[in-house]
Amino acid sequence: MLIVLSAFLFLEFYTNLFEKSVGYYLKWQNHKRPQLGRMWERDRQSLVAQAKIKSIRSSLNLQRETALGITSFKHLFEGLSPGFPLIISREKFLQLYYDFPGQWSERIISSYDLVELDSRKNWDKVFLKRFGPWITLQFIDRQNIPLHELFLSIDTLYEVQATRTVKRGTLEDAEFPSNRIFPISEFLPVLKSLDATTQKAVFPEPRWFLGKNYHVTRVGVSDSPTGEPAQHVLFGIEYDTDYYTGVLLIPVAVGLANNMMSQVEKADLVGSNSDESPSSPGETP
Amino acid sequence: MIGRFLHSLNLLLLTLILVVVLIVSGLYFWLNQDLPQLPKNLQQINLSLPTEIYSSDGERIKILGERHPIVLEDISPFFTKAIIAVEDSRFYRHSGIDHRGLVRAFLTNIRQKRIAQGGSTITQQLSKNLFFSFERNWVRKIKELLIAFQLEATFNKDQILEAYCNQIYFGSGAYGVEEAAQVYFKKRAKDLTLLQAALLAGLPNSPNNANPFSHYERAMQRTKYVLNRMVSESLISVEENKAALKSNIDLANPRVESDPNLYFVDQVLEQLERDYGKEFVHFGGLKILTTLDTRYQEFAFKGARNHLEALENRLIKKRGAAPLQAALVAVENKSGAIRAMLGGRDYSYSQFNRAVSNNRLPGSSFKPFVYFTAMEELGYSPATVVMDEPMTIDIPGSEPWSPKNFDEEFAGNIILKKALMKSINIISAKLINEVGPEKVIRTARKFGIKSPLGKNLSLGLGTSGLSAYEVASAYSVIANLGIYNEPYLIQHIEDFQGNRLFEHYYQGVQQFLPDSLFPLLNMMQGVIQRGTGRIVRKMGFKHPSAGKTGTTNDFKDAWFNAFTKDISASVWVGFDNNESMKTKSGKGLTGASAAAPIWVHFMQKVLEGKNPVNFPVPEKIKFATVDVQTGYLAQEFSLETLQVAVKEDVDLSPPAVLSGEQEPDETGLLPDPVVIKKSENVVIPEKKNVVPNP
Repeated sequence: MLIVLSAFLFLEFYTNLFEKSVGYYLKWQNHKRPQLGRMWERDRQSLVAQAKIKSIRSSLNLQRETALGITSFKHLFEGLSPGFPLIISREKFLQLYYDFPGQWSERIISSYDLVELDSRKNWDKVFLKRFGPWITLQFIDRQNIPLHELFLSIDTLYEVQATRTVKRGTLEDAEFPSNRIFPISEFLPVLKSLDATTQKAVFPEPRWFLGKNYHVTRVGVSDSPTGEPAQHVLFGIEYDTDYYTGVLLIPVAVGLANNMMSQVEKADLVGSNSDESPSSPGETP
Repeated sequence: MIGRFLHSLNLLLLTLILVVVLIVSGLYFWLNQDLPQLPKNLQQINLSLPTEIYSSDGERIKILGERHPIVLEDISPFFTKAIIAVEDSRFYRHSGIDHRGLVRAFLTNIRQKRIAQGGSTITQQLSKNLFFSFERNWVRKIKELLIAFQLEATFNKDQILEAYCNQIYFGSGAYGVEEAAQVYFKKRAKDLTLLQAALLAGLPNSPNNANPFSHYERAMQRTKYVLNRMVSESLISVEENKAALKSNIDLANPRVESDPNLYFVDQVLEQLERDYGKEFVHFGGLKILTTLDTRYQEFAFKGARNHLEALENRLIKKRGAAPLQAALVAVENKSGAIRAMLGGRDYSYSQFNRAVSNNRLPGSSFKPFVYFTAMEELGYSPATVVMDEPMTIDIPGSEPWSPKNFDEEFAGNIILKKALMKSINIISAKLINEVGPEKVIRTARKFGIKSPLGKNLSLGLGTSGLSAYEVASAYSVIANLGIYNEPYLIQHIEDFQGNRLFEHYYQGVQQFLPDSLFPLLNMMQGVIQRGTGRIVRKMGFKHPSAGKTGTTNDFKDAWFNAFTKDISASVWVGFDNNESMKTKSGKGLTGASAAAPIWVHFMQKVLEGKNPVNFPVPEKIKFATVDVQTGYLAQEFSLETLQVAVKEDVDLSPPAVLSGEQEPDETGLLPDPVVIKKSENVVIPEKKNVVPNP
């Protein structure tokens, strides 16, 4: 035994047998042990930090994607709630600005003011926030310094919601009576005969349809609501896209609508007469 | 006989071996779950990136968690030899434990009857540094030893030595040899001379006691010891040792944490830790761009230091008294960005941030909010006449309150603008009594003041504590003509890949109408032109500015808060223990004498080379020169006149019909000059107490 012990001590002294055995055993068992101690704690804190960064980034990406997915001013303003400001890029703002089927965008800021803003070459984003009855639009640069600020009242928001809206489906789906629906070819001569202001009030810039490949097919005028005398009726423009049929709804003053209706019907009548029965002498077309 | 003895010895040895095996196995199974896992490689331990904080002018003002891991080839061989000689001369020959070293340490300790020498190898020290606490107990020591065995079995000697050199603490906040070389010698670790390497190698054993910055002699003794050890281990020759001792150590200047930017940095860190958690800040590897302008901060620091030194020479010195302190906050009006934040005169002496955390009584600095409330709620204007006279206000359930003026004199009839310029306490007390403290508090909240405000009349004299941060921010609302910008410190935060994680957006809120606020601004311009803050002009500050002084009872606090169109700055001066600031001549230090000069030094530097910019005048404002005693338009025989800014519907012309002898009512307040329509020439005042025009 003494010899064995002496041999062991000799081996230990010259080859560190004990330390190596324990060391290799621990190495073999390493994966089974917990990640404890200062070093792992630091590592864990680093992981917590990276997880936080990841969560912030994904939340920011979501916000960015949400902003990119906004399709109209209506959508943009509806998405604004107090305490949750929205940031959209300059390009997105311009897209929405020129995408609006009508002149309402000009009421936010005139296109000439936009040109002036853009001439400084540092307009980068638009920061929108809602505060009480106001919506603030800040045109900001890359350092988030406001270049121009304007305020819209919430009433304006209701106005845009009520102004020009787009719906999927046909005019019939939008509950336009069939006797007040006309092919676009019958309506266009009447539209052309109207003065420029009235034209703008009832029909958007044709670019809005042409640019998007929307093929206008029919127009319609809704019935006046029963009961109280209405100020406005809806004028609907139906269009076909490659995938669906949609209707652009525009509130139009009742007087103007009636006037248009009478002209369309008159034109229709004239057209019918010319097709089916020759006009009697003395009648003007 | 011998056979018996050998047999017994065998049995004893066998028993001993069994006991040792049992103890070792028992210990292992007992400690097994407490033993930490080792990482796959040792480089991984330095992976966490530092977080860097930048000022708005591009200076890197703080690095958190900075580590400079380097490979062994980038470390001077003098150093690796020196550290092996002094810490673990048999490093390349043992497997985690040095038997000879242990025996030597054991014998030395027995001889000296104290723990004079440790037997820890470099591997054991690395094991301790990576995983264990620094408390001394046997269980921790055994765990440390077991992990050292595993380190030796897992990594080669060079990997262990490299990790050790990158981990070990060298004192003065330096972890790792690269940082230590920078801190002590301002050079790379690979460029260390023999003497320098020996000095550094002596530090891990006693980083504080042998610190060359604080204990140079001890550090050099330790260096000599290290060199001798290197000679005994034949790592250097005797000649090299002698040559090294003759060489110059070239010690760098100590890195003192006296950087005044650190008050601001602490505030940024506090905010970020509160909003995102400690881990995010310290282990996120972030780039944080702040609003601080280091040039402004330097101006604030120098301005405060110079003036405080001058003031201290004038003050009665008490033995062991703490130094006079100051705080300064500068806010950019248009954005709310904090451009300077001085929390005290010397960060190395005291890290307490007096600019934010020290709510001291603002005294008359609070009066603008009282005056403004009165003008808004009661329809008063800067030309409204009030009687400055002794007064006592009965307070139900409390002693009657008799406010006193600073100079204990009374001015009689006086217009509000003049009263603010002279900072008359009685007038402020009358106004708050008339309007009620609740409305004043509501107004103060709209100015952005968040500290608790006492719902009592003395609030009108500034008896609720505020910080310089709050006051500067609140005054910037006046400079902005009613737009409140939440003060902020962080412009944006990026991760290490440059992705923006946070951005500040300006969100100004129009809290007050410009034409309501401009008269107050104009009154505060009067404070600087001809009022209690006129020292600003005497010191040669020419830019259009407005502000208010503040001095509290017994001269415990001195304030000066003022703004130009672009910057608002608030300065506080006082003692931490609330002692009076009395000069040797018996006079007390006031806002004008103690705080205003610091403001002037600071603003003069900030605005150096810039053109004066006037405050914009809102459309519905008109200017008029009025009689200070009557508040009506000045006449030839007016004794004292003053220009006021009032809303355009305020008529300052004297009434055509005088109503004889009139006395102020019980509040002592006299009505405004009467508002008349443009088409009318005369309106007979409805109230009886209109002061007749002389």
